[in-house]
Amino acid sequence: MMRSKRLALVAGTAVAAAWLATAPATLAVEPVETAMFESAVASGSLPPVAERVPANPVVVDLSADGKTAGQPGGEITWLARRSRDIRIMNVYGYARLVGYTPDFQLAPDLLEAIEVEEGRIFTMHLRPGHRWSDGVPFTTEDFRYLWFDIAQNEELKPFGPDVRLLVNGEPPVVEIIDETTVRYTWLAPNPEFLPALAGARPMYIYAPAHYLRQFNAAYTDPEDLAAAAEAAGARNWAAMHTRLGNLYEASNIDLPVLQPWVNRTAPPSERFIFERNPYYHRIDEAGHQLPYIDRVIVNISDSSLIPAKTGAGESDLQARSLRFDNITFLKEGESRNDYTVHLWPTALGAEIALYPNLNADDPVWRELNRDVRFRRALSLAINRDEINAVIYFGLATPSNNTALPNSPFYDAERAQRWATLDIEQANALLDEMGLSDRNGDGIRLLPNGRPLDVIVETAGERTVEVDVLELIRDTWREIGVALYTNTSQRDVFRTRVFSGEIAMSVWFGMDNALFTPDSVPSELAPVDQNWLQYPKWGQYVQTAGDAGEPPDMDFGVRLMELYDGWRTSIDPDEKAAIITEMLDIQADQVTSIGILQGVLQPVVVSNRLHNVPVDGIYSWDPGAHFGLYRPDTFWLSE
Amino acid sequence: MLGYIARRILIMIPTLVAISAVSFVIIQLPPGDFLTTMINEQLSRGENADMNQVELLRRTYGLDRPLVVQYFSWLFGILQGDFGYSFEHELPVSDIVGDRVFLTIVLTAATTIFIWIVAFPIGIYSATHQYSWGDYGLTFLGFIGLATPNFLLALVLLYFANVQFGISIGGLMDPTYIDQPMSVGKFVSVLQHLWVPVIVIGTSGTAAMIRRLRANLLDELQKQYYITALAKGLPTRRALLKYPLRMSLNPFIADIGSILPELLSGSIIVSVVLDLQTTGPILLRALQSQDMFLAGSFVLLLAVMTVIGVLLSDLALAMLDPRIRMGGGATK
Amino acid sequence: MTTAARGSKKPSDIDHYVNSADWNPAIVETLTAKQEEYYLASQWKIMWWKLQRHRLAMICGAILAFFYASVGFVEVLAPYNLTTRHLTHIYAPPQRIHLVHEGRFVGPFTYGYGFQLNLDTMQREYTIDTQDVQKIRILCRGDPYEFWGAIPARFHLFCPAENGTLFVFGTDRLGRDMLSRMIYAGRISLSVGLIGISVSFLLGIMVGGLAGYYGGWVDNVVNRIIEIFQSFPQLPLWMALSAALPANWSPILIYFGITIILGLVDWTSLARAVRSKLLSLREEDFCTAAQLMGASPRRIIGRHLMPSFMSHLIASATISIPGMILGETALSFLNLGLRPPVTSLGVLLKEAQNINVVALYPWLMMPVVPVILIVLAFQFLGDGLRDAADPYR
Repeated sequence: MMRSKRLALVAGTAVAAAWLATAPATLAVEPVETAMFESAVASGSLPPVAERVPANPVVVDLSADGKTAGQPGGEITWLARRSRDIRIMNVYGYARLVGYTPDFQLAPDLLEAIEVEEGRIFTMHLRPGHRWSDGVPFTTEDFRYLWFDIAQNEELKPFGPDVRLLVNGEPPVVEIIDETTVRYTWLAPNPEFLPALAGARPMYIYAPAHYLRQFNAAYTDPEDLAAAAEAAGARNWAAMHTRLGNLYEASNIDLPVLQPWVNRTAPPSERFIFERNPYYHRIDEAGHQLPYIDRVIVNISDSSLIPAKTGAGESDLQARSLRFDNITFLKEGESRNDYTVHLWPTALGAEIALYPNLNADDPVWRELNRDVRFRRALSLAINRDEINAVIYFGLATPSNNTALPNSPFYDAERAQRWATLDIEQANALLDEMGLSDRNGDGIRLLPNGRPLDVIVETAGERTVEVDVLELIRDTWREIGVALYTNTSQRDVFRTRVFSGEIAMSVWFGMDNALFTPDSVPSELAPVDQNWLQYPKWGQYVQTAGDAGEPPDMDFGVRLMELYDGWRTSIDPDEKAAIITEMLDIQADQVTSIGILQGVLQPVVVSNRLHNVPVDGIYSWDPGAHFGLYRPDTFWLSE
Repeated sequence: MLGYIARRILIMIPTLVAISAVSFVIIQLPPGDFLTTMINEQLSRGENADMNQVELLRRTYGLDRPLVVQYFSWLFGILQGDFGYSFEHELPVSDIVGDRVFLTIVLTAATTIFIWIVAFPIGIYSATHQYSWGDYGLTFLGFIGLATPNFLLALVLLYFANVQFGISIGGLMDPTYIDQPMSVGKFVSVLQHLWVPVIVIGTSGTAAMIRRLRANLLDELQKQYYITALAKGLPTRRALLKYPLRMSLNPFIADIGSILPELLSGSIIVSVVLDLQTTGPILLRALQSQDMFLAGSFVLLLAVMTVIGVLLSDLALAMLDPRIRMGGGATK
Repeated sequence: MTTAARGSKKPSDIDHYVNSADWNPAIVETLTAKQEEYYLASQWKIMWWKLQRHRLAMICGAILAFFYASVGFVEVLAPYNLTTRHLTHIYAPPQRIHLVHEGRFVGPFTYGYGFQLNLDTMQREYTIDTQDVQKIRILCRGDPYEFWGAIPARFHLFCPAENGTLFVFGTDRLGRDMLSRMIYAGRISLSVGLIGISVSFLLGIMVGGLAGYYGGWVDNVVNRIIEIFQSFPQLPLWMALSAALPANWSPILIYFGITIILGLVDWTSLARAVRSKLLSLREEDFCTAAQLMGASPRRIIGRHLMPSFMSHLIASATISIPGMILGETALSFLNLGLRPPVTSLGVLLKEAQNINVVALYPWLMMPVVPVILIVLAFQFLGDGLRDAADPYR
């Protein structure tokens, strides 16, 4: 229906996605039955594969991604540090309505197609014949159920729907057009909608209605429900519904899913077995239904033992809980235990960054931190090359907290701005500020006569932070700044930064520095109290002015303007220009002092496992870690 | 005797109630609650937490109620056999704990036996050869386990067990046997994995046992009856084995009661390092994430075991020692 | 002599000689000088004699005395400062000390290291350069420090050759000399034990004394509290207390906080011992005598009762110290212990608690040796003291 209109509307939208390569009528590939299901199909307990996959499955072009066609079968194991982490299987599985491709473009996946008009009208088309892992059709009823029976239910969502579904506080209009077509319409553009659907932890706008209705008071007798809730140890039916209906956690083995692998082990356990989803919607060009791998086993192990176990060959695909300093150990076991260590750069803007708190309570420190010369001087007086050599074998990239080289917004000059060692200039900047008096130890004196003792607070979880600070201490001393480290705990650390008690803190840099024009630049603007350089500005924006302080420095105001401009813009060029300007402001103002980026994440891959890229990017969102590279295409050789 | 037991049990009740209250408060003592722990954890991995969702969870878990209310609802739940709900595991507490108790008992029993086998001969030898180099040497051996920080010893043994014998790292069995029914292979696998924790936990317990056995035996050896026995010409060996040794066995009996909670809580750190499927790591995680019903129930369980253990060993001692037994009979 | 008095003949029947000299009853049983010394010796002196019989305890005592004496001079004993880094010698293995170079005696020296980064294995590789003889200097000028926090000095017991290196126990991830770090860390760990035990000792004596002295309901309450404390698993108690230490405390305050926590967890057994001793000694004759003479209860406790079991208390305290030192390492393991830059043996062990160290840098586990030494020494000394303090042995 309305095919011509659909095609016409695609152009000029943020997501240039329409049809997948193969249309249902021209399905060239005949699905092949998987060995694991042959007996079930023969006995009639499972329909044949042609009836299980959607009428127009995704036919994966493996060679396009530099992958090879594989053979189905086998099982792999990886290690998680606690049983809650089995949810990561739904991150690695990465079946999303729309998802990122390895070059970070959004493309339909579960959806057959999506059209976006004016950045505010989203029309989604499901695949006819697509089924949940229990064989029940996946239709727009599942969208209807979530929006009308969950998101708007007072008991299930007393605080209303997910905030990413609200634009200026207004919910969308949801129209169920037919069994495979659903439309979300807002009054203004919602640029966060598609990235949220494609997230590592996605926003779910559908739920298995046929399964969940039995737990919903609108469909089931309240008395039976109350009894069931009590038996399940839940406070009421709503709590039970929320817990049993959580598509992300993978803890309810009865919950139908759309992911490549389905959990078959009920918690608590130390070993979770995920089996292939017989109704998965992707096949390869030879007709093999994906995923190739029959079973994925998640063994639970203490995080401190995971490197040891991985090095002993007890994991086939491991990146979680491995750190840079494990590389030497892991490399040593490569030949003995038949695996290879790939090194993927992480997507953090900076592995370690110092955050001068512009909202510090202490007036002296607030004034100091707010002087851009002070921030620049501190950044200039860091020997990033030495830190790189000592801690990262020289394999990271000295840089401030900014976009990564893989991002179209990367600018080599900007990455080095105020981030190269220059003691002389740093001293000159501090002198210019009027901090030229020094005490007997050569430490500069503040206007109130106290020495310039910078106390940097750490959350006390990464020894590398303390080590880096030790190295920084030496060069800061050369500019007359004394550095002291105070180790705290994460809870306390955050509260104290938020309230302004801490003048300088150290933490990771930006979580996602792989900026594309579509990525929400929320980390570049003071919109969240978790941005440790201006927590109170963030509080102000988050609470719509109820708490915190409004941005009261020029660049802060400008960043907010740019951010709001980005949100309302539907022009990719304008969006790109905005992000560039925001990155420039951040680098120029040195709001955070980044040290290094592109630190390598060890990724241990069994030599039997194929199609795992050698050079990947280890990114949570966008990326979903392995999800970006589609583990359903990974296969095992004998 | 019965009256004695009844009185002891009555005294236990206020103690246990006090312990339950104290443990509840203590778990709350560090700043924040389970949800802040959870949010922080998610933030550090880039998973953003929806604050509304968190508020909803806080209500669902009842964390918005005053502490006193939370405590009493938990306490009354326990009286009805309901230990509450674990936030982290999203399961009733009893489901989580129950699963691991069996392996904990296996480990504890193996460790206790190990301690006895090591401590018994060393204790006797060093008492009968006081201040000899043999005494010093053996006591030294027995004490070295106490002096070595457990967590490091555990890691080193773990690594060498893997490199030398190819035993999978950590756990109490090869991962493939988890959740499988008991079989010969599983049994062998458990045995292979058991010796590292048994040695690590056991060696730290032998020292105390050696010392007590030695001290008790030394006391007995100075008593008249022993000297008389020797004077009457009883062979030293027989005189020793027949009387003083039996008396000095008291610590072993006294320990049957106290060893259980001691090993359970004393071995937590080792269990964490070795990633054993026992109760220890769960307790530690629950404490760290302030999963308070789980942690609280655990602490209470350990306390109950201690109290009952002490009671049991008192009773056992009474049965064994005629003096106490007679005295006990008289009060009846 | 009594048998003589009971003789069958009546005394009046016998001629007998009566010595006019004053009768000295002590003359019957003459004490040798040694015996006399023994009977007149103070309790402490007897203890000391008995302790001397326990050879191992004496050796351990000497070791501990040496350790504690060195606490005051760590800056001099350590060849480097706590934080001196050698960025060209990261994870350098221990350097052997040689005496003879190519058949010629040169005195203690080390061979220098050649260094190369292997990016295939991601390892720093060190080769011994047998041409580079670096003679260790004795009583020399090295890293500057402030002695006792006041006097600037550069004097060290021994230091590396000029422009040379001396890493007897290797270096850590920032190229810091492990030996120096251990010496500095030992100072903290040794003092943790002492401060902790003082806290527990004071608490134990006060609370136990209170219970034993007042008896009645006070005794009952104290007993219940002790019982609760003792049935309570130690780990949660530790965790809660240390997590409750304000996070904005400076590392030094945290250090005191931790030692006090260690003491707080430990006091109950001492209190119990004090209480039961007090209760039983109260019934002794010498106590009744003092009471009859009108001594105040305070005087009785302080003057008569306490000294009679102080030796015993000190012995039990000695045995508790190693528990504190190990407790500190356990807290460090749980990330609840001392915080950098305060460095204790526990902090060093925590840093060594990872598979990289076990597999690649085993010399970082060296701090376990002083921990074992200290703990064992305290154990044996404590055992010896207790045997010596026991009046019946």
